[in-house]
Amino acid sequence: MSPIEHCKECVDLLGEYVEGTLPPARAQELEDHLSLCMPCITFVRTYKATGKLCRKALAREMPAELMASLSSFLGKHVPGFSCPKSGLTPRQADAASDIALKKG
Amino acid sequence: MDETPQITPEEPRVDGEPTDRELVERSQKGETAAFALLVERHQRQLYRLALRMTGSDADANEVLQEAFLNAWQKLPNFRGEAQFSSWLYRIAANSALMRLRRKRRAPDALQEQPLEPTGPRFSAEGYLDPPPHSDWSQRADEKMMSGQLGVAIDKAVRELPEDYRTVFLLKDVDGLSNEDIAHALELTVPAVKSRLHRARLALRDKLGEFFGP
Repeated sequence: MSPIEHCKECVDLLGEYVEGTLPPARAQELEDHLSLCMPCITFVRTYKATGKLCRKALAREMPAELMASLSSFLGKHVPGFSCPKSGLTPRQADAASDIALKKG
Repeated sequence: MDETPQITPEEPRVDGEPTDRELVERSQKGETAAFALLVERHQRQLYRLALRMTGSDADANEVLQEAFLNAWQKLPNFRGEAQFSSWLYRIAANSALMRLRRKRRAPDALQEQPLEPTGPRFSAEGYLDPPPHSDWSQRADEKMMSGQLGVAIDKAVRELPEDYRTVFLLKDVDGLSNEDIAHALELTVPAVKSRLHRARLALRDKLGEFFGP
């Protein structure tokens, strides 16, 4: 591989670079370019920040009502099923699921 | 010739809990408590996959129910060529796609839509042109607190073509591996990486516009 002279090459490799899947020698060449190129340093920082900010803004946890609804459903269709960590018996899960569905 | 499929090895878990493989084997013998542990372990990530593909909690709920019930019914045929989680994601993704197809006659896979050329511009020599002057990566917290940034991010992500959006959300927001995403969405790993990179470039552009010079 040749040294990275142009920003375009640097940008093309960023996906692999930030994931740590770029071969070490190529990653070193990219870092050599970064050590000389302020625009690319800014670009890399904002590229990395994009994923981080989106994660903060859009991360979603599974609602407890949906867990109860799933547990209740499987309790009806898989003989002997009960969710181990919810602490809910199938009847309680059923009730919680009904409440969730009524809410909407 | 030995036609036994290659079984993917599975590392012991650091928390000392049974591995997926052990739970699968116990479930295959009819132990529903083992299956319940698999549900407990994978429901959150499966919910995120279903939510990202269908776009609603109500649909995600039904996809989850269908996927786990399908998994229970198909478990006797699961031979461990793939990780259990990858197999499960594929079942859920199929269920989500069928649901989408019923609703709006979607094609057999996520809609292929082109992503308009976005991202940085380069000079003829290959240098960033114009060079980015604003390093907004350090200014995000204050905007995040005000809620404006969240609205801008939501809008920018919604404007991505569906197949790019789904890959981006599953990877950068929900933390699925490239391999699991590829398996679930029937893409190659290089295709996942390419969509992800282009989605990030497009979103980075939009966030740059939001933060201004």
